[in-house]
Amino acid sequence: MIEDRLRERSLREAPRVPSFEIGSRAVEDPSDERILIEVRDLHVYYGSFLAVKEVEVPIRQNEITALIGPSGCGKSTVLRCFNRMNDLIESARVEGEVLYHGVDLYGPDVDPIEVRRRIGMVFQKPNPFPKSIYDNVAFGPRIAGFKGDMDALVEDSLRRAALWDEVENKLEESAYALSGGQQQRLCIARAIATSPDVVLMDEPCSALDPIATLKIEELMRDLKEDYTIIIVTHNMQQAARVSDRTAFFSVDVSEEGRTGFLVEFGPTSEIFTRPQQKQTEDYITGRFG
Amino acid sequence: MSDVRAQFHNEMAALEQELLGVADQAEQMVGMAVEAVCLPDMDLAAQVVQLDSRIDETYLDVHNRWLRLMALQQPMAGDLRMMSVLLHLNTTLERMGDQCVNIAKMAQITYGLPRSETIIAHLREMGDLVRPMIRTGVEALVRRDLDEARLLPAMDEPVDRLNRNLYKEVVLCGPDPALLEWATRMMLVSRALERIGDQVVDIAEQTAFLLTGEMMEFNEESFPGGSPIGV
Repeated sequence: MIEDRLRERSLREAPRVPSFEIGSRAVEDPSDERILIEVRDLHVYYGSFLAVKEVEVPIRQNEITALIGPSGCGKSTVLRCFNRMNDLIESARVEGEVLYHGVDLYGPDVDPIEVRRRIGMVFQKPNPFPKSIYDNVAFGPRIAGFKGDMDALVEDSLRRAALWDEVENKLEESAYALSGGQQQRLCIARAIATSPDVVLMDEPCSALDPIATLKIEELMRDLKEDYTIIIVTHNMQQAARVSDRTAFFSVDVSEEGRTGFLVEFGPTSEIFTRPQQKQTEDYITGRFG
Repeated sequence: MSDVRAQFHNEMAALEQELLGVADQAEQMVGMAVEAVCLPDMDLAAQVVQLDSRIDETYLDVHNRWLRLMALQQPMAGDLRMMSVLLHLNTTLERMGDQCVNIAKMAQITYGLPRSETIIAHLREMGDLVRPMIRTGVEALVRRDLDEARLLPAMDEPVDRLNRNLYKEVVLCGPDPALLEWATRMMLVSRALERIGDQVVDIAEQTAFLLTGEMMEFNEESFPGGSPIGV
């Protein structure tokens, strides 16, 4: 069973470059591009309040997918569904399916810890642990019982995160000594140290200066060779610069509250030059109402 | 509806207004240039040259403002397409002004030479066809009217036909070298008017791009549907 594999695959067995062996039911789209994650009729509730409704988004392998939209449109809520981070919110309830390699991540036997190992996350503010640079990267693999060459894994992860050259001589120093941009790249190294398929990024540059932001964007383009990336960003130019596809969300306001929904999904070049929906056009040209 | 990019949208609208003014001027210049040749009138010819230098100044000013808006505002979607249209429009109108100068210079060069009234009538007819084309092309853009933009290829067709057929009149001028020189120069006037007609069709194609997001080549084969040639 795929579910068993999700629970049981050890870190050593997990391929760094995603294998398709475990994804025999992965969906093919007409353009023959592999869809790694398929969201079907997703609804997210907080208690009785419907926060997000009717989301259908296909996430393609080795692409960067951007989720954009105004505040409260549910884009971060949707992002957190991709690795069951909403489980940590007591009142949150998810309906619909999030199929990863054809397996519903919300299936009864799926281990959310294994889901988060395969689908890592980088947050808005860099949040390194109060440990050394080395230990930050080694933390996840140690917990997962990694028995291999930890030094090599740490170096490889830091290289992939474009940070190695800046920290190779101070691996034992506190992660807090790094700049904000370096800390965020360290968090990316920490996320990829457990060999995920997918890296979720929730506004990863919003706390960074423009140069650090451009470095992260460049890094994202490199990372997509080996990983699938989903990014939530308020910065539309960033979405336009880095992503292959963009999902635009908006929000319905009613007496019950604000419910986010997907307005349009498509190739980023199309969304930013000739969106099909007026709501998208109005949002990205700054005309709201 | 609130507009959080009001300053940008106002500046973009101001660029459009500036260029619509240039288009009006170009329409006027076509009429003046054709009359400068047909009357002939050297004052009119000089005025055309003078007006073109103003179009050139506006061209540079619009280009600089356009660049600044692109760099500072980074427009997207319909705004991005409008900015693309404005850049094309700026270049196209500047070239239309240059064609009017070409016609005015022919008036100056041929002043005093014998003339053919048939050819003069032929050129006046072309001018009378081209000026409404400019008006229609500009109105289609102002009204964001795709149907009106699609009228332009049909309006351009008689201009092309008159240009192709002018040589038949020119060869009849053959026995008289001075008349032949004048008539040969008039072929260049005809060619300039034909080019202006094509440039108006280009403006209509830009309007279609603005409205549909697809670049259409409004050529005879594809008329009236146009064929997408990609963005």
